[in-house]
Amino acid sequence: MKRIFIFALAAFIFSSCDSNDDASDVAPVTNSKTSITFDARVGSADFALNKDFTIGSRTYNFSKLRYWVSNVTLVDAKGAEYLVPNSYYLMEEVGDLNLSGTIADKLTYPARKRETIEVEDIPAGEYKSIKFSIGVDARHNDNLSLADGELTIANGMSNIAWMWHTSYIFTSVGGTVKEGTTGGDFTAETGLNANYKTVSLDFTTPVNFATTKGVVLNLDVTRIVDGIDLIKTPKVNAAQATIMSALANNYGTKALSFSAISK
Amino acid sequence: MKNLAFHIAGLSFVLAACHDNPKVEPGSQPYQFEVPANFPAPLENRENPMTKEGIALGRLLFYDVRLSGNNKISCASCHEPKLAFSDGKALGNAGVSGTTLHRHAPALINLAWAGNGLFWDGGSTNLESQAFGPLTAADEMHQDLFELVDELNAVPDYVTRFKVAFNEKITSQSVVKALAQFQRSLVSASSRYDKYRRNEPGGNLSPQELIGWQLVQEKCQGCHAGELFTDHDYHNNGIDADFSNDALEGIFQGRFRVTYKTADIGRFKTPTLRNIALTAPYMHDGRFESLEDVLDHYSEEIKTSPTLDLKLPEKGLKLKEEEKKAIITFLKTLTDQEFITNPEFSRP
Repeated sequence: MKRIFIFALAAFIFSSCDSNDDASDVAPVTNSKTSITFDARVGSADFALNKDFTIGSRTYNFSKLRYWVSNVTLVDAKGAEYLVPNSYYLMEEVGDLNLSGTIADKLTYPARKRETIEVEDIPAGEYKSIKFSIGVDARHNDNLSLADGELTIANGMSNIAWMWHTSYIFTSVGGTVKEGTTGGDFTAETGLNANYKTVSLDFTTPVNFATTKGVVLNLDVTRIVDGIDLIKTPKVNAAQATIMSALANNYGTKALSFSAISK
Repeated sequence: MKNLAFHIAGLSFVLAACHDNPKVEPGSQPYQFEVPANFPAPLENRENPMTKEGIALGRLLFYDVRLSGNNKISCASCHEPKLAFSDGKALGNAGVSGTTLHRHAPALINLAWAGNGLFWDGGSTNLESQAFGPLTAADEMHQDLFELVDELNAVPDYVTRFKVAFNEKITSQSVVKALAQFQRSLVSASSRYDKYRRNEPGGNLSPQELIGWQLVQEKCQGCHAGELFTDHDYHNNGIDADFSNDALEGIFQGRFRVTYKTADIGRFKTPTLRNIALTAPYMHDGRFESLEDVLDHYSEEIKTSPTLDLKLPEKGLKLKEEEKKAIITFLKTLTDQEFITNPEFSRP
């Protein structure tokens, strides 16, 4: 049976257990909505698949860029936090993926570019920063039956398709890397609870979501691969714990930055 | 057992759905988990509170061949109640592909207390996540999870039961939740040993069995610890000297394949000694056919390697023949006939 995975599948949210007590600190006057864009970049250029990019002395050509963003939290001027409920999003740029033999006999995950998430019901106020995590928190990572947000094992971003360690793949970037005549295919992935990274980014000026369309963050791929020798180690996963940890640190500490407020 | 088992006051953590808001789905009845008087408290289970309906649904699914890709095998094909939910084979080949597996099917006993990873290497944190492994593995049940949902949706009784137990339409996530609830209900605590411990009728141990119990406490319970007869931990018990074969994603290397820590090379999960007379053959690959073989190993055949467990003398336990006999006599008192014949656990 041939199946095409439907994005809406992830919408069967049945749990409202996530505590949002922090949100009660923010007076809900008029709730707002906004879009948060994770703009994938290669330095100053826009990220694209199947296109050569020069990073340092190497030429990269990417075939995929995928990562979970979770627990998006907006912090207001007083430090009160609004945790977006069920905020588990798969950000990605991929061509058609053949996932046959993972959770279904025949499964094609269609090409997709997804950089923006829509957030609704933001309590009114002035916000100074945004927090989110790259990866999936331990509670959800350890239990594949919790289908909060977009979490699913049906999109090739869980270890059902990777190894006998039932958890999510937090980030995955793949393609080819060459330096002169050396190099070849690479896949650099992170996962495991220790590599769950929380990022906090300040806005340059306080943001009122009632009067702005959204915020733009940058994800710079040159910083994801910074210090990671993907010619020497073309497969980064749990078997290369030290390198995987360095890769996760790159996502957590330098790949993401605040870019702009879109009016 | 039922009368003498006591309920831990306010055992709400077994039933709790949310952190501060214990609840089960409307229409379902909370399951009163009975903790045997000689057992520790079971694990906190907030994510998937047990209900009578959830357990009953899990039992139906456990025995249903619809869960396999070829609709010929069920969970029970390799986890038979009469063998304490094991399969009696060193390495099974009952999977959809017919390929012989590389690891021995574990018995399913007292899993409500199993909190330190599942599979022989602990690669899964809980029963819910674990179930996706055998369900999808090509050499096991090889089920297409979309087909599974379609096949279950074709049975009106299932549609109703999922609605009652989980208040939702059938999903692969609720399938594994129901299976987990049923497995957590598989409590074995009515062996002759248990009756002895609880001073219940029929709880007599012979002098030889008591000697065996003493020896088990001294020699075995470092790992096969406490009333559960397992520490739920991972050990290199000296059955191999060389774990350099990293084939098949490290399947022969034990817990190392999950943690990639060198200290975990050759470490495998401690199985319970409960119902051990029913769960032959033994070890993660079923290499020992009998309890006699197992004791000969621990007594004389320990193989040394850098991660050999420190509790094991390198030259073995050096048991006398009568000690081995006494130990085996005691181990047989851990067989729980009520467990393997419990109508609540059997094929519906």
